[in-house]
Amino acid sequence: VKLLILGAGAIGGYVGGRLHQGGADVTFLVRPARQQALRDGLVIKSPKGDIIQKVKTVLEGGEGGPYDVVLLTCKAYDLGSAIAAIAPAVGANTTVVPLLNGMRHLDVLDAKFGKDRVAGGLARVGVAMVDGTILHTSPFAAISFGERDGKPPRQALVELDAAVKKSGVDGGLHGNIVQDLWDKWIMLCSLAATNCLMRGSSGDILEADEGRTIVLETVDECHRTAAAAGCDPGEKGLQTIRGFLTVKGSRFTASMLHDLEKGAMVEADQIVGDMIARAKKAGISTPNLRMAYAHLQVYLARRARAG
Amino acid sequence: VKILILGAGAVGGYWGARLHQAGIDVTFLLREKRAETVRRNGLVVKSPKTGDVALPVKVVTKANDGGPYDVIILACKGYDLGSAIAAIAPAVGANTTIVPILNGHMHFATLDGRFGREKVAGGLARIGGMLGPNGEILHSGASGVSFGERDGKPPRAALVELDAACTKAGIVGGLNPDINQDLWDKWIMLGAIASMCGAMRGTVGDIMEADEGGAIMAEILEECRAVAAAEGYPPSDKVVGEIRASLTQKGGKSVASILGDIEKGGAVEARSIVGDMLARARKFGVAAPNLRFAYAHLQTYEARRARGGLK
Repeated sequence: VKLLILGAGAIGGYVGGRLHQGGADVTFLVRPARQQALRDGLVIKSPKGDIIQKVKTVLEGGEGGPYDVVLLTCKAYDLGSAIAAIAPAVGANTTVVPLLNGMRHLDVLDAKFGKDRVAGGLARVGVAMVDGTILHTSPFAAISFGERDGKPPRQALVELDAAVKKSGVDGGLHGNIVQDLWDKWIMLCSLAATNCLMRGSSGDILEADEGRTIVLETVDECHRTAAAAGCDPGEKGLQTIRGFLTVKGSRFTASMLHDLEKGAMVEADQIVGDMIARAKKAGISTPNLRMAYAHLQVYLARRARAG
Repeated sequence: VKILILGAGAVGGYWGARLHQAGIDVTFLLREKRAETVRRNGLVVKSPKTGDVALPVKVVTKANDGGPYDVIILACKGYDLGSAIAAIAPAVGANTTIVPILNGHMHFATLDGRFGREKVAGGLARIGGMLGPNGEILHSGASGVSFGERDGKPPRAALVELDAACTKAGIVGGLNPDINQDLWDKWIMLGAIASMCGAMRGTVGDIMEADEGGAIMAEILEECRAVAAAEGYPPSDKVVGEIRASLTQKGGKSVASILGDIEKGGAVEARSIVGDMLARARKFGVAAPNLRFAYAHLQTYEARRARGGLK
């Protein structure tokens, strides 16, 4: 399987780097500055082993193709420019596997490339890029992908799964990727909304009188929205999410809070705003998400006026 | 009238400076460090209203120096009330009236318990400003005060004299026959703006940029209004209308000082401004979902500050 990865940032760099290490045919579509930086090799530091390796890079999606799979690992707010960049690489037999947060991007990609070319996918990798080096800090590094209509997977995804199995990245082909997308989104939206609205880690929030209640209500708002979409994660899945968000003393935070505190762009619309929009359509009230989204919009307004 | 002011921050400092300029007998009771700065530089006030001045005001660090005092103006933050009480106690004589200008209502029970209700008047300030990096008072416009008898009786001589002193000093407001209502009117405004600027981390104008920002602001003001009404102090429609207009002004530059405190990692009056409002809402069965979020935000901030986890 011949892979093109858009971006060699934290997620794309880590996943692509591991796939390359496992012997897959990987090319990174990057900007000139990143290509320059990668001339001496892609650097990954990880508890699973540090690597420096030469990788193939291209500046245009039309170079080096055709590709069987295009892995999209941009931030959701960069989707427009990412689509423009990969478009020349998407041929008749190419499958686009987006690893973005939320679900909104799927509609945009379907409209551009046709639903049959767009698989479902997500990443669970705790990773950051610092000075061009990819720092994998958490114990988990998994991706998940599959057919959104639940049909048997196409050849390209079966081959991608085989490449993943050889790479040391966990996960792979998923029989119900749409459910997995919702499961991740419930978790991420609850965590990001509460961490950002309260500006603290889950452990800090639990110190407030109503902190625990507010966190659990927020999970429930997301849960009901998922259930209305036909993707109820079930009691066991919910217990995992609730448990993770209510660990006393936890210093774990959503990366969105770090972005907020350093004045960076945030995926407010895709992670929180779109959840509210879907809830509203289903007649589900989301007072906690409403507050969190207002907080994020205030942040963005203030950032726009550089305050 | 002989006046002692505890604290020379933006509020107490500005008020005292204007009284001093008008020739009133004012003494500041300050902590050692602040006293030293004021003794060395004078009390420096920069104001669009009065220009920039450095005043050689009287300063003491112990309350039994220079007394007895007719009026003690308490201009500390709510979280410093305990140490403020200890500081002024030696200056409180049989004929002393205490005029606290703290935010909220929680301080009254503490002061009444310590000094006796009859010694404690009601009071508040509407003075805009902050302290600059060198301890100078940067005054930013508003300069009103309000004080009076909490039981609504005719005012005692000390308050009448304080009122005359304020008039002479060009401070607007002064003696208010309905100070309890005014305390609530101020608190509902402050409860709403401090909750929102604190929990949303922005100015009124920033909050208005969020789709639901104006609606949430109006709801939280309504929560505060309903608490005041339940307490027996319903603000007039005119007062509520004016507050709502100013707190939902597109592009409004208004911001609660609590946001500045949060952003410099300082202590905040979370409990006296927001927590106590929420507690009263619960007591009366007034729904206060937005105050609940705001108080949780401020408590999260305090928890994170306490563990040294800010930045």
